[in-house]
Amino acid sequence: MSGHRRQILEMLAAGKITAEEAERLISAAEEPSTTKFSEQYSAAETKGRPKYLRVEVDAEEDGRHDGPTRVNVRVPMQLLRAGVKLAGLIPAQALHRANIAMHEKGIPFDLTQIKPENLEDLVEQLSDLSVDLDQKDEKAKVKVRVFCE
Amino acid sequence: MIPFVAVVSLRNRESRTFRLWVPLILVWLLFVPLMVLLSPLILVASLACRVNPFRGFVVVWQVLSAVRETEFELDRRSAGVSICIL
Repeated sequence: MSGHRRQILEMLAAGKITAEEAERLISAAEEPSTTKFSEQYSAAETKGRPKYLRVEVDAEEDGRHDGPTRVNVRVPMQLLRAGVKLAGLIPAQALHRANIAMHEKGIPFDLTQIKPENLEDLVEQLSDLSVDLDQKDEKAKVKVRVFCE
Repeated sequence: MIPFVAVVSLRNRESRTFRLWVPLILVWLLFVPLMVLLSPLILVASLACRVNPFRGFVVVWQVLSAVRETEFELDRRSAGVSICIL
């Protein structure tokens, strides 16, 4: 088995790439020219490990002469990891209260399920996260984009 | 490593940009004596909440270290502000 093929299969086994991406990479690796393969491989590797969570907001209100408001926030993934570890220090009673408060607000999320052991899985799943919100009404136009890079 | 500098950029209507380098290291240095003074209280609070104070310290340190490379930008036609933690 060639080195490239083994690396691709390892990435597939680790869940960093999908089966389709693995298939494409393997077929690219089997081509005589390896330049294309290297590009695809590095792209998949980069995609597999996002470094930042980015939030972009573009809002425009009618009647304001200030122009649109643009907000751009970049949060390192490392901060999310550290945040989950910090959440692990919160006493169980406080987490229970927070869960109840979130349920009351219509957010069915169990904070006790966020554990440092599941941290890498959680962050890895975020790599595929992309939220696009586009809202237009009479008074305002808002675009929100959340993605990992 | 915890961040040592934050860069704050302010832009006004005339597109003049003022860049301010904030030495966070001074903030941390000011925090050290405060933390020493508050350490008995922190210890008692940690034990009351059944949290290992050393683990708590390590996690807080990790959070501070992870703040590096955080960026925030707010931009309008009339003004803009950007904060970057290095």
